[in-house]
Formats: sequence, C-alpha cells, structure tokens
Amino acid sequence: MKVVPSRSSEWVRPVTSQRPASTIIEIDRVSQVFQTSARKDHVALSDISLTIEEGAFVSILGPSGCGKSTLLYIVGGFVSPTSGAATMKGQAITGPGPDRGPVFQEFALFPWKTVLGNVMYGPRQQGVRAIEAEAQSRTLIEMVGLKGYENFYPKELSGGMKQRVALARTLAYHPEVLLMDEPFGALDAHTRTRLQNDLLNIWERDRKTVLFVTHSVDEAVFLSDKVVMMSKSPGRIRQVIDIDLPRPRRRNELLLDPRYQKYVVDIERMFDEVDETGSPS
Amino acid sequence: MISPAAFARRAAPVFACIGLLAVWQIAALILKNDSFPTAIEAIRTIPDILGDKEALINILASLRRMAIGFGVALLVSIPLGLLMGRSRAVAAFFNPLLMIIYPVPKAALMPIIMLWLGVGDVTKILVIFLGVSLPVIYHSFEGAKAVEEKMLWSGAAMGLSSLQRLVRIVLPAALPEILTGCRTGLVLALITMITSEMIARQSGAGNILFNALDMGQYDTVYAMIIVIGAMGIGLDAIFERVRAMLVRWSEPQFDMPLSFS
Repeated sequence: MKVVPSRSSEWVRPVTSQRPASTIIEIDRVSQVFQTSARKDHVALSDISLTIEEGAFVSILGPSGCGKSTLLYIVGGFVSPTSGAATMKGQAITGPGPDRGPVFQEFALFPWKTVLGNVMYGPRQQGVRAIEAEAQSRTLIEMVGLKGYENFYPKELSGGMKQRVALARTLAYHPEVLLMDEPFGALDAHTRTRLQNDLLNIWERDRKTVLFVTHSVDEAVFLSDKVVMMSKSPGRIRQVIDIDLPRPRRRNELLLDPRYQKYVVDIERMFDEVDETGSPS
Repeated sequence: MISPAAFARRAAPVFACIGLLAVWQIAALILKNDSFPTAIEAIRTIPDILGDKEALINILASLRRMAIGFGVALLVSIPLGLLMGRSRAVAAFFNPLLMIIYPVPKAALMPIIMLWLGVGDVTKILVIFLGVSLPVIYHSFEGAKAVEEKMLWSGAAMGLSSLQRLVRIVLPAALPEILTGCRTGLVLALITMITSEMIARQSGAGNILFNALDMGQYDTVYAMIIVIGAMGIGLDAIFERVRAMLVRWSEPQFDMPLSFS
C-alpha cells in the first residue's frame, strides 16, 4: 500500500493504535549525575531504559536513594538528565507540560486558594470558562470524597484530605499521564490504605497512564500492572515484574489471594537484596 | 459576650497608655520644670494643633510624602526581592550592593541628597523610599526563597510561564513574609519622614515639632510627639487589619475539622 501523506490526524491515528500496545513514554539510556562536591560525583541514575505503555499503571519501587523520584522528575520535565533522553509520544521531553500531571508527597497545594480554587486552577489556566471549570471541579472534588469542603483552605485539612485535593487538582486539567511521587508516603497507615483503594477505584474508571514512585512493596503490587524494581548507588533497573492479577482489584480479596502474596514475598526478597542497609525480614 | 481573659487582652494596651500618661503626669508635677509640661497640658494642646489649618496642611503634606515614598518603595522592592529570591544571578548582583547600603542610616545620606535635589519633596520622598526599601526587599527575598519547589513545578505542569509563576505563585506564597517586611517598612517610613523634616526644615510634622522647640512652646512639642506617636500606632493598626485580611489563609487560627483521611 502506498502511504499517502495526510493532513488529517484522524487518518493516521488508527494506524498507530493498531500497534500491539502503544508506547506513551520512552526513557532511553538516561543517566543523572549530581555534583556533590568538587571532586566527588553522585550517580543518581545510571543508564536507565524503560518503555511505558499507554493506560498502564507502572510503579517504580526501590530503596531511598535509588533515584526513583529523579526518574519521575525527568519524565515530568522538571529535571533534565545528564545524558540520555525521555520522550512522550515520540516527542522529546524538554520541560513540564499539562500532558503530564504530577502529584507530590508534599501535596504542594496553593495555600492561598480554597479546595475549589486549587482544583479550578489548572482548567482556568488552560482557558476553560469559569462556570465550566467550577462545575467540573465540583464533580472531581466529590469524586475524591471531599464534597462539603470546597471552601476550606489547605491549612484546615488533614494530610489525607490534602492529598485528595492534590489528586483532584491534577486530574482537573486532564493530563494523559499521572506522575505520582510517593503520594501516600507522608500519611499514616490507615489513611494510606483508604487512599490506595480510592485511587484504584478512580483509576479503574478511565485507566490513565500512571507512573507511581513508592518504596512500599505491597502498595506497588496492589496498584500496579508492572513493577520496576530499582537498586541504588548507582540507580539502576534491577528487574521489571509484570503483576498479573485480575482487575478490578478489591483489597480484601487480594490480600487472601496466594498469587498476590507470592508477588509480595518475592519482591520483598529482591528489595532486601538491593538495599544493603535494609535488614532482612 | 467576651470572656474576662479576652477583655483583659484587648484592654491591656489602653491600660498601658493610661499608666504611661499617669507616670508622666506625676513626674511633671514633681519636677515642676518649664520645659516639661504635664500630660494633661500636652493633651490639651492637641486640639489647638489639629484645629490650626496651617498645621493640618503640614501634617497632611507629611503623610502624603510618606505614602508616596512607602508606595514607590513597595512597587520597586517587592519585585526586586522576589526576583532575588528566585534567581541566583539577580541575588548575586544585588546582595553586595544592599549589604553596603543596609547599615548606613538613611538620614545620614540626606545632606548629599539635599545638595543634589534641594530641600523639597523629592529629597524627603527619596529618603523615605530608601528607609522602607531594605526591610521589604529582605523579607520579599526570604519569602521567595522559601517557596516550595514542588508548588512551582505544579504550576509549571499546568502551563504557567516563569513570569506567571513569579506573579501568581511566588508572590502569593511569599505574601505573609512580604507583609511582615512591609509592616516594618511602614514604621520606618514614619521615622524617616519625621527625620527628613527635622533635617530639611521646610514643612511637615517634624518641622512643627522643631519650630515649637525653637520658640519654647513645650506644650506643643509634647503634643506633637503624641500626635506623631498616635499616627504611628494608627497606621500600624490599619496595616495589621489589612495584613490579617490578606493572609487569613496562612494564619494557624483555624480549628481542624473532624479529621478523616
């Protein structure tokens, strides 16, 4: 067949989607070196290559100091790699953009804005009319379980509530990829579990691509399609594990599932191997 | 109804004022010095000053200079401080300059400024401007430096340009710190205003004070001190109201609602 150069993108799109699993993000031989002192360099990431498929929930798991957050920041465009490159849909990532929405452990909400103001911020920036942005934001706030808190300031909210707002704020501008940087790391165990469940419920509705950084093995297994296990000094990919567990996942069912338990045990063992300072359990 | 404790807290400044005036009154009665009027005599003179059209024009002229000097200082210092806080290059350029200017009493620069610009409004406004600028620059700088990087990243991901981030994220995030600097700046504006009028004697509240001193009108001298002091307290109180309103979101006064995850 002769390929006709086309002006219409619709003509091209079916062809790309016919590929077995379309790659959305490609990380190609990325290294990151931080100069800690005049003589000594700290190699945070060494020669990382990874492809992430559209609609996949991928966790990057590793001990602290393995550069997993740095890798996420490179995909976000917040940090430029020392060498190598990351691409999104074939386009080189040169800076942050609304197609990649971050959710940080520190929440990073705008404290001078109410919950509604925070969630509306992205759509308004994107030029959505105030009435529409507000309606969409109210729906999102309800979805993350914060109905009734629209006019509260971040200062008035608990950590778990703040992270719910942060998630809604990012979802509000419809990024194609969610970049979650240890989002539940600052929360207590109970809150953490509830947010994991709710995140999974939300995610299973529209299956956005998620890149999720964590150092919790069961969190990674519970949420992900794929777990990328990293080792530290220098940060390298140790192994990529496909998590073949049915969806929708329910926590109470999964915890009893031997396959889930095996994933957790196997990955925990691997985690102990890569983390020299970690005590074997 | 307010509780006795809350009442005591609110009434405390009033009692302090009354106490101070009482001590003054008693001291003046004991010392019986011509150049030291009693508190009541000084207070009785205040309506005379405020009733005098000339004096009133002078005081308003002072306030006008102060407002211009303060306003221009904010317009220049806040953006400069924010830029310094977010850009190492800008900070590296201005920091040494500011470190030199910082310890110099701005009033000490007046003779030079007077030589160049005369004894009129421009000289006095410039001195007020210099007095206000440094604390405002410093606090804006510190406030901008402390802005959480992740907050700026969140804005960048939403598509805010670096200038938009400076205006729409760094400025509001640093506002509590900036306003702390402005409050110090406001008091310094009053101080430099009076000082400038004492050096370049031509008009203004400081001039009234020193003219009265020259003429031995000690009641007026003390009355003017009360008037200037009241202006300071009043301006500070108004500013504090405005500040509290603007940064309500950052005050830890809220009670946590029933917390849930």
